[in-house]
Amino acid sequence: MKPTRWACSSVVARLACLVRIAAALIIAVASASPAWATVAQPLRADLIVSDQTDPPAEDDARWRPVALTHVERAPVVWYRLRFDADLSDPAWVLYLPFLYGGGRISVNGVPVAQVTENSPELHVRWERPVLLPLPAGALRAQDNVLLIRALAAHNSVNTMMPRPVLGPQAALQPMFDRRLFGVRTLPVVTVVSGVVVGALVLLIWFRRRQEVLYGLFGLAAILWALRTTTFVFDALPPAAWDVWRLLYFVSTGGFIVVMALFTLALAGWSRPVIVRGLLAYWALGPVAYLVGGHVFASRWWVAGLIPIGLGLAVLALLAAWRRRSAETVAIAAALVVAFGAGLHDYLVANSSPLIQALLPGWPDRRLFLLHHAANLLLVVMGTLLAVRFVRTLAAVEAANRTLEARVQERERQIAASYERIAVLQREQAATDERQRIMRDLHDGLGSQLFTSLSRAERGALDADAMSDTLRSAIDQMRVALEALASDEQDFRTAFGNFRFRWDTRLRDCGLKPVWQVELPDTMPAIAPHDALQVLHIVQESLTNVVKHARARTVTVRLHHAGGMLSVDVVDDGVGGAAAKPAAGGGGGGGGRGQSNMAKRTQRLGGTLETEFGAHGGRVSLRMRLADKPPDGSPGPEPGLALP
Amino acid sequence: MTTRVLIVEDEPEFLQRFTEAVLADPGLTLIAGVTTGRAGLALLDAQPPDVMLVDLGLPDISGIELIRHAAQHLPDCDVLVVTMFGDDAHVMGSIQAGATGYLLKDAQATRVAAAIHELRAGGSPISPSIARKVLAAFRVAPQPAASQAVPAPPAAVAEPSPLSERETEILRLVAKGFSFDAVGEVLSISPHTVVTHVKKIYRKLAVHSRGEAVYEANQMGLL
Repeated sequence: MKPTRWACSSVVARLACLVRIAAALIIAVASASPAWATVAQPLRADLIVSDQTDPPAEDDARWRPVALTHVERAPVVWYRLRFDADLSDPAWVLYLPFLYGGGRISVNGVPVAQVTENSPELHVRWERPVLLPLPAGALRAQDNVLLIRALAAHNSVNTMMPRPVLGPQAALQPMFDRRLFGVRTLPVVTVVSGVVVGALVLLIWFRRRQEVLYGLFGLAAILWALRTTTFVFDALPPAAWDVWRLLYFVSTGGFIVVMALFTLALAGWSRPVIVRGLLAYWALGPVAYLVGGHVFASRWWVAGLIPIGLGLAVLALLAAWRRRSAETVAIAAALVVAFGAGLHDYLVANSSPLIQALLPGWPDRRLFLLHHAANLLLVVMGTLLAVRFVRTLAAVEAANRTLEARVQERERQIAASYERIAVLQREQAATDERQRIMRDLHDGLGSQLFTSLSRAERGALDADAMSDTLRSAIDQMRVALEALASDEQDFRTAFGNFRFRWDTRLRDCGLKPVWQVELPDTMPAIAPHDALQVLHIVQESLTNVVKHARARTVTVRLHHAGGMLSVDVVDDGVGGAAAKPAAGGGGGGGGRGQSNMAKRTQRLGGTLETEFGAHGGRVSLRMRLADKPPDGSPGPEPGLALP
Repeated sequence: MTTRVLIVEDEPEFLQRFTEAVLADPGLTLIAGVTTGRAGLALLDAQPPDVMLVDLGLPDISGIELIRHAAQHLPDCDVLVVTMFGDDAHVMGSIQAGATGYLLKDAQATRVAAAIHELRAGGSPISPSIARKVLAAFRVAPQPAASQAVPAPPAAVAEPSPLSERETEILRLVAKGFSFDAVGEVLSISPHTVVTHVKKIYRKLAVHSRGEAVYEANQMGLL
């Protein structure tokens, strides 16, 4: 390789360089010859075309000389080779790289071995090499005669004779092992791994049918495993043979077609016409075998696969040129190598003069490259699939993370909006409550003050009435403050404040107040506005008692049971008409007072009973407490509710 | 020995009203009735009264200052603050400054005198919502059972309340709406003892509030 070659400017040229280097390396390794001087490698032989079973005589006139490796168009051929032996090492062996149709071997007239021959009962095609120990006593130092009766493999018209190697076992064993590894061990590994990997990938595809690439790749791997059984089974009974060979054509064509479909799908060039064309050509293979036989099929139908492979390689190169991603370059490289290997194998298998001219002696070694290249192709495609798989998983994970983040964000937003709604509701409820109280002040205190003002201005209000009016106004303000100041909305606190104020006042007026408050801790909350109404009613009643009843004792009873709140103001006054609030003329009290009480009771949705007899008066309020604060008013904060 | 009373009230109408109430009671002696805070301050020093009746809304200086002055320099002087509605904010401020009682502005003459006598007898009345506020000022939960619902500020743990158990109990009962009679029954003490406790509580609150102010100032880096 000259350095200038490395200056290739284009990717394609670089790939070509790599291919050439690879080819050179393979040839160098494969053609390494034993370096021992003791090894005999006859390059020439004599042959007689004859299917006779007894060895031809030494002086048979039909013997004619040929160069090895030799291909003779005949089913059975006798070969005679001469060689000298170095007897210092007695354990000499014979190494034949191939003996496709089997045969019989003898040295100096002594039978060495019989490799099962192709026959009507058993069809053989030996892919593996042969290593035979030579009988120690049979060898001479010089002019040994090796006689081989070689047969053509089944379905082959040609009998082939490689260049045999004779020598000490220590020298030839590695050659045998190397060839055995290439033509037997590797195919077995390929078959097993192809089946396993293909089955696994097909399983993925089976669960995820939309992943066509996995299906194609799995199918390709399985087909290639089937195709590779060619190198694993050497001898088969005739019944199995035809099926097996049919399978060979199905799987070979199938692999190439499926790989083509895979590549097209991967590159996104899949077109129905192309797919149908490829599938049709695939189907032609078995037909060609059944109609035209093995030779026809492998010569002509397999030839048709070459342009397909070439087209694929060109497409892949174009894609690599356009996109220049690691993926496209890898595909292109693998396909170019595979195409080269396939072409090479076709030429070698058909003993093409072209390859003989290009690489003299190389075809004689009958080394096939496609199954190595196909393994490479499968590994490359499998790796790409794996990379895609990992990338998809990463993308899914990223998508999940994004989704999770979005969900969390959304949850935060929803929580925040709930919080806002709750705040708005609380504000709205507080506003509603304020407005109710404002209206109450407006309707009650406001209208009372205006009425009183009007009466005062026309002189209809004496000093006592004026004082009553103003006290009533102040009391209303106080009771409002009491109802509202209990920010905890605890009715008992509000009532406690009320009681605290009125207790002193009643005592100062010479009355004995009795407070009977039975409000359990479990009592529902009473909204400030409702509390205000209740306190107003009690205040109005007490005012009336103070002003008119001339009582000694006044009892205020608050009781809550079964959801009902009972409020009673009972006095032991003189009662009768004199005690009736209606009789009082004072501002704020009197008839107005009672009608106000009725109005407030109505607002509470309760009932009010008043009775004023000779032995005292009674005002009774009954109302049902809602378990929840009425009409969405704020209600108690959980921690501040009545325990 | 009659109770000497100083009245500081800027509204002539009410100054007259309170003055007459004091003069009408033989047990009370009027030192002076003044309409400005400064005059009140001067009189506090010149002729220390037993009881000062003070309105908060004075034209020159706040009634609170007078209360504070009295509480600090005249420990034997009781301060009765005059309030229009007995609303929490004004009353609490006064008590924290050192007042031990309050009087509604529209109180009848007899009530004015009665309130002064009650105060001298050692009792201070307290309304439920003021009781709540006092408990809060001492950082004691109003209802122990609901303490998890109304979490006490952390300071309650760090700093033991200056209130005795009995005092705390009284405040809690009053805050729940119990009358003094009812509180007395529950605790097996007389209603008079209840209000005596309340007066002590008020004094403790005044001291506590000053301590709090110093503490707060310290926290804020003012001292």
